[in-house]
Amino acid sequence: MFSLTFFVLISMVACQKKEHDDHITIHWKDKKASSISIFNQNLGSISGDSISDLVKISLKNGENKVAILGNFSKQGDSLIFEPLVPFTRGLDYELIIRNQSSGAFTIPDAADKDAPELTGFFPSGDTLPENLLKVFLHFSHPMREGQSGKFVALVKGNSDTIQGAFLDLQPELWNENRTILTLWLDPGRVKRDLQPNKKLGAPLQSNASYHITVSPEWQGSNGGKLKTAFKKTFLTTSRDSISPAPASWKISFPKTDTKQPLNVDFLESLDHSLLNETFSVTTRKGETLPGQWHIGPKEKSAQFKPNTPWKQENYILKVETRLEDLAGNNVNRAFDGDVSKGNKSPSSAEIITVPFNTVE
Amino acid sequence: MYFLLAAAFAGLIFLAGTSRLSRGNYGLVKGTPEIKSISGLAFGPDGILLVGDSKSATVFAIDTEDAVSNAQAPAIEIKNIDQKIAALLGTEAQNITIQDIAVNPVSKNVYCAVQSGDGTPVLFKISGDKIEAVSTKGVMFSSLTLNGAPSEEAKDKRGNSLRVSAISDIGFAEGKVLVSGLSGQEFASTFRSIPFPFTDKQDQATLEIYHAAHGKYETLSPIRTFTTAEISGKKYLVASYTCTPLVLFPLDELKPGSHVKGRTVAEMGSGNSPIDMVTMKKGGESFLMMSNSSRPVFKVKYKSIETFQGSLTTPVEESFATAGVDFVSLPVTNVIQLDKLDDTRMVLLQRRSNGSLDLWTSSERYL
Repeated sequence: MFSLTFFVLISMVACQKKEHDDHITIHWKDKKASSISIFNQNLGSISGDSISDLVKISLKNGENKVAILGNFSKQGDSLIFEPLVPFTRGLDYELIIRNQSSGAFTIPDAADKDAPELTGFFPSGDTLPENLLKVFLHFSHPMREGQSGKFVALVKGNSDTIQGAFLDLQPELWNENRTILTLWLDPGRVKRDLQPNKKLGAPLQSNASYHITVSPEWQGSNGGKLKTAFKKTFLTTSRDSISPAPASWKISFPKTDTKQPLNVDFLESLDHSLLNETFSVTTRKGETLPGQWHIGPKEKSAQFKPNTPWKQENYILKVETRLEDLAGNNVNRAFDGDVSKGNKSPSSAEIITVPFNTVE
Repeated sequence: MYFLLAAAFAGLIFLAGTSRLSRGNYGLVKGTPEIKSISGLAFGPDGILLVGDSKSATVFAIDTEDAVSNAQAPAIEIKNIDQKIAALLGTEAQNITIQDIAVNPVSKNVYCAVQSGDGTPVLFKISGDKIEAVSTKGVMFSSLTLNGAPSEEAKDKRGNSLRVSAISDIGFAEGKVLVSGLSGQEFASTFRSIPFPFTDKQDQATLEIYHAAHGKYETLSPIRTFTTAEISGKKYLVASYTCTPLVLFPLDELKPGSHVKGRTVAEMGSGNSPIDMVTMKKGGESFLMMSNSSRPVFKVKYKSIETFQGSLTTPVEESFATAGVDFVSLPVTNVIQLDKLDDTRMVLLQRRSNGSLDLWTSSERYL
């Protein structure tokens, strides 16, 4: 560990020497250039009160040399400047003291090893319904927001890019760490009989080949671009307008006194994100069993491995009815229910219970 | 969930315990709000800025101390505002995003939420042609964590939360903070009505659109943006959805735990997503103005919504499917943000055809 730290320090020093004047040092936090320290003999005569009037940092090539917003503070013989947002990789900056250019520095591009990667794409299956509603992109590092329209494309066949396939949402739907993005296929185009659907048609048609591409130009929040381009190819099947039906799922009963996983086979792909949240196993008395859930291939099944062996008992699989399939049909109701066909009102139950036993 | 609840509870105790020190009647306490993102801005009473933070699922109320009345606000016009803000942040325009703008209804200054490429949120105040950063250190504020977090937060292998959600819009009406939420998981709408000053109360209603235009499908869908308006003496939530219909909900029906069906009054066209809506007034008539991702700004007379509403008491003819309420497209395209300066003037953030992103003020003639 010590030798690694030492190596990093050496490499940072080596790197810094090339990027700026000797009296300006760039400080990094989470791979972002969060501040600089300035050591300059001309600073000695400037009092603390007048620093922000007489010293400024600006973009080297910027018009009017606008002072970058941030805070100055003194630390020993050095002056620290912390900009409101980290300095941008690849840009050149200038130190100006009493209207005189007094130094310059460049923020280096992100190192290749810090490049973000697309680590997961859901649904992971290669056959998807024509009314597919949403896709999830998982990244290794936090990504820059508001860029999906530029870098994610839906292509029919080999060349026909479908414009406006994904809903243009601001803000985009990211998780807290900006590593997971949800993209919706324009729901107005998926929903039957709405104007967008009538005029432009659905984004996907059945029995066709599509791919979704992600451009390697997309930057992570540390400024590094994606390591590689991504391409997901899939075929479409006909419309799925049927709610997931827990009663028809195949459950493999685990053996008593083992930690054998309980396997639930849905017989169709379900929504990856909701699968992570909507399942639990309880005893008949309602006590939740601690254990781990694992999502099976193509999100067609889920396995639950209890922390302690199964007892000879009746258990209950609890499923929250907000669970959806790939077309947005949840357990209680279809995505766009046709009320003219006399469908009964959707159930409002929040949880469906599926009892099961262990076997000898 | 427990953590969030505990945090919310602790926050309330903290607020309750220090309320004697707080300003006015709003329960604000001095401190530094931990804002992780700014997805929506709106103004409450007396220059109190409401900040919707999607990343921490929290609404902050911050006293801007900018409450000097300005009845004769001059028009604001700043060309290339993105480049100007980028220069102040030491970067280029492509590395920032303007997330929302809100006009302080008292001082008429424009508040602008910006996100830098690394995700840092920054708040700016624009008065005349002056753009300055608003510090949130040591301000009077209060906050409320939105409920409805999943019972057990699922995490990926790296420990990242799998929960994907956003505050799609935030508003203030009838003494309540109104928040519409988008989930990246379920395709549904949550709409919260939160009494202000914050207490432990937040009413949550689920909303459903009844596509009155064809009377055939009932669907769930997330609200993209909303405003409130009075139609025939009754207060309504006027919401626009990700699938672009314009839907009315009576405000008094949005009660805790209720499931309310709204009526679609118009569909605003294809391949489009609504961005912002405001209610304007001129000569005794009121108008709904709506900016769109790929359409011009729409103007709808509330009077025609009123008439249309009347005709929806009986089953709707199929012919309405394409009709809906009449709306006029203004010759103003690519409006990214929109707010009301006063009854007759709007502040618009527009991407001009020459590529310049300009903040400007519309005159009365647009109504």
